[in-house]
Amino acid sequence: MAKKKGDEKVNQTIHSDNEEQNFDEEPNFDDSEGFVDDIQDEELLADLLEQKPKESDGYENVIVVDGCPQVGPERLEKLQSVINKIFGKFGTIVNEYYPTTENGLTTGYIFLEYSNPQNAAEAVTATNNCKLDKQHTFLVNLFTDFKKYENIPAEWEPPAPQPFKVQSDLQWYLMDPDAYDQFLVGIGTGVGLQVWQNALPEPTLLQERPNWTETYAVWSPLGTYLATFHWRGVALWAGPKFTQFQKFYHPEARFISFSPCENYIVTFSPAGDRGDDKKLIIWDIRTGQEKRSFPPPDEYVTWPIFRWSKDDRFFARLGTDVLSVYETPGFGLLDKKSIKIPGIRDFCWSPTDNVLAYWVAEEKDVPARVTLLEIPNRAETRSKNLFSVADCKIHWQKSGDYLCVKVDRYSKLKKDKNELKYSGMYYNFEIFHMREKEVPVDSVEIKEPIQAFAWEPVGSKFAIIHGDQANVQVSFYQVNTGQAPTLLKKLAGSFNHVFWSPQGQFVVLANFGLTGGALEFLDTNDFTIMNVADHYQMSGIEWDPTGRYVVTGVSSLKCKMDCGYYIWSFQGKILRRVMKEGFAQFHWRPRPPTLLSEKQQKDIKKNLKKYYPQFESKDRMRSTKASKELVAKRTEQMKRHREYRETKQREWADQRARRLELRGYVDTDADTAAAAGDGNAVEEVVEFFVKEEQTVID
Amino acid sequence: MKPLMLQGHERAITQIKYNREGDLLFSAAKDAKPNVWWSLNGERLGTFNGHGGVVWCLDVDWQSIHLITGGGDSSCRLWDLETGKNIATIKTNSSVRTCNFSYSAYQAAYTTDKAMGHPCEVFIIDTRTIDDSISSASPILKWEITDSKVTSMIWGSLDETIITGHEAGDLIQWDLRTGKKIHSIKEHTRQINDMQLSRDGTMFITASKDQTAKLFDTSSLELLKEYKTERPVNSAALSPILDHVVLGGGQDAMEVTTTSTRQGKFDARFFHLVFEEEFGRVKGHFGPINSLAFHPDGRSYASGGEDGYVRVQSFDQAYFDYTFDYNRD
Repeated sequence: MAKKKGDEKVNQTIHSDNEEQNFDEEPNFDDSEGFVDDIQDEELLADLLEQKPKESDGYENVIVVDGCPQVGPERLEKLQSVINKIFGKFGTIVNEYYPTTENGLTTGYIFLEYSNPQNAAEAVTATNNCKLDKQHTFLVNLFTDFKKYENIPAEWEPPAPQPFKVQSDLQWYLMDPDAYDQFLVGIGTGVGLQVWQNALPEPTLLQERPNWTETYAVWSPLGTYLATFHWRGVALWAGPKFTQFQKFYHPEARFISFSPCENYIVTFSPAGDRGDDKKLIIWDIRTGQEKRSFPPPDEYVTWPIFRWSKDDRFFARLGTDVLSVYETPGFGLLDKKSIKIPGIRDFCWSPTDNVLAYWVAEEKDVPARVTLLEIPNRAETRSKNLFSVADCKIHWQKSGDYLCVKVDRYSKLKKDKNELKYSGMYYNFEIFHMREKEVPVDSVEIKEPIQAFAWEPVGSKFAIIHGDQANVQVSFYQVNTGQAPTLLKKLAGSFNHVFWSPQGQFVVLANFGLTGGALEFLDTNDFTIMNVADHYQMSGIEWDPTGRYVVTGVSSLKCKMDCGYYIWSFQGKILRRVMKEGFAQFHWRPRPPTLLSEKQQKDIKKNLKKYYPQFESKDRMRSTKASKELVAKRTEQMKRHREYRETKQREWADQRARRLELRGYVDTDADTAAAAGDGNAVEEVVEFFVKEEQTVID
Repeated sequence: MKPLMLQGHERAITQIKYNREGDLLFSAAKDAKPNVWWSLNGERLGTFNGHGGVVWCLDVDWQSIHLITGGGDSSCRLWDLETGKNIATIKTNSSVRTCNFSYSAYQAAYTTDKAMGHPCEVFIIDTRTIDDSISSASPILKWEITDSKVTSMIWGSLDETIITGHEAGDLIQWDLRTGKKIHSIKEHTRQINDMQLSRDGTMFITASKDQTAKLFDTSSLELLKEYKTERPVNSAALSPILDHVVLGGGQDAMEVTTTSTRQGKFDARFFHLVFEEEFGRVKGHFGPINSLAFHPDGRSYASGGEDGYVRVQSFDQAYFDYTFDYNRD
């Protein structure tokens, strides 16, 4: 190779020698006299002329940043590096100017020039009104804006009153006369979303949009908003037409959580570029205002990072040995300081009261402890010490009547270098009676591995799935006042999930997993198994908010085949099977809690028999209407098919002669006709040899 | 009623067919021996021994005198049905994928695979007198298929045309006098696994890997109906007496290990011919169904599966009583 290269070089030199020899005589390129150039510059240099400087150039590229710190010459360099860091993100800064006063201080406003107007505009929208630090807030304008402001008329004209914009009814979905629920179906990863109304006899499609979100979509906790994810942030949709209600600019936001009353939304963008202290932002949903932002959590934590009290008044965040409780609407720390709790591992708000439960891990001789803390007065209403604790899980009952702490306990502890090894595990369920005086605590002990635990949302039962893979059992307990919880029922079956109806009483037991799919529908009043079914490879279950329907689904994110969802009645009757390629998520639209008083609810339950015929006749009317439509459609199809068949049969009859010819004049049309029910066939008896038996008669 | 289980093949069934009267049921499988059974009680009448490998296809003439088979041993064979004797063997360059007698049985057609450097070809042979001479006689007509290979084939009406179904989903109708295309349509997106004529031959149904079966007009290739499933359809048959269609299929053989029978995707599925609505399923096979056939009297049907079984299922009275709601006037 090396040799070859050398050869080439030699050739080149020879070549250049040749060229030199060609400079003999130069022809005359001059224009003849009186020549007029008829070619315009534009024709020749159109592409170059585009880049020719224009008068308007430059101004649009310039931004004016006001509100910068005023610094002396000694700190100017530092300021410049900070400014460059912030504004360099939007494009190359080609020119900068820091005006100074006579004594060398900067004036607090600076001029920056970008290479193009787009960058400048981007910088203005992103940094205007942004806080640099406590004292300084950037006020950023395009240079051209000043021209605009110069022309402001001297006399002020009162702005014309804006016409009243009718806010679309956000609660419209609750006003449906038949109280149909809605559900959301997501198809593909970040592709289409469909919103359906679970009408009878068939669900109706309310809204369908391709590419409505980029990743997934969620309902707000009361069902008012639908949140979608986009590369620029998060959008909320509401109203009968699902119009955009609000958007929150937070690039690459991946996680969100709503406050329980839907006043605030927290967005978290682990990879976003809005600065390190803007990874976590809390927004006001109605105004779209950014309320407070936080730097990202130090390490891996479970989402949601901020957990809200039931009335949106407080939100709390777990830290190392510390629990930070913040207050709304001020968004400052409650009493201006965090609560120091050494060894705190986890906490959870009560769903109905401003009480939170937390637990503290074991430390040498100090036992582990579960504590109930009242906020805002920080009173410890109850605490319980626990020994030989490996882990705890806090489960509040949805009505806030009970709290269960699942305690993983060990009988032996081995220290293996830095790792702790537990053995001889057993499990305690500590039940706190929240509504009773001094919060008594009961305990249930189970010596088998626990698969799942779930409270009855309304009522006093809970279910535990326990046992080894080979021998799984489901136990139902009832919590009692004044005595230990009683075991109501023990069922066998390979289940690993329990799903209670939101109204209590009914429960679905399910088995998820590759070969799973078993379902059992149970009435826990008398423990009758209402139905046993399966949905092969099912990956999720969701009750509708009223407890009338259950949906099981196979998501395309888990399984490539047979994606789709089944809708069941609460009794386990299959109502509908929907197979959909790319089916990814299913969510019932939540409902706010009922406004009826307990007495009103009781009255309705008592008079159910009275309402029953009304609804029954309504349902019947609807289904007859639907079947009428179907019958009409079928009749039409049949009519067309008949016409087609008649022409074909005529054709076929016309060809009879040729058919006979083809089969040597043996008429085989007859048995076609016979098969069609003509009855001309000859019956034939066929005898078969079944078996031969020899019996010895003595 | 309890189905008859015809157990005689060692490997997956490839094609099953009744004779015109319906007393005999023929089955071909991936083992080398096609079988013939009494359709009434499922007793095996005999086997046709001679093939050296997979038998992909078979057909019986209208008089039940001869059988034609084609297989992976690159041969198309003609048999005497009564004795099971192999009368003639036509050597081909590659596997024989489809073979069928014409309406008159004066001719037969077979197609070969595009393989081993040989193109996919269609052959029409003279079968008026069947003896050993056929083995060496040249075909009446033969032509090459240049695009995707033929995976199924039927005769059109009056022995004038044949219709081929292709790997890419095309359907082509050929004029046998010229060997030229008359119609070419593409209603399927994937391989057409099976085609079967209606009783009078005026319509035919296709079964495709694209998870649908479709009904076409035999002379115009006009698409009439479509039956959708969520699995590849391997075979579809039309009831001779009712407006019913049966579809069979399931996951590809190579993907079967990831599927369980519990999912019920190996069922034979019954659709209404006109309304395109499914109204029944019959379970049984523990592998995909590869071939289906209605008994000519319409009172039973047979299915052959990847599991190597042929199941003959008679219909209960409830099947005949079942009706769809529509206005009959």
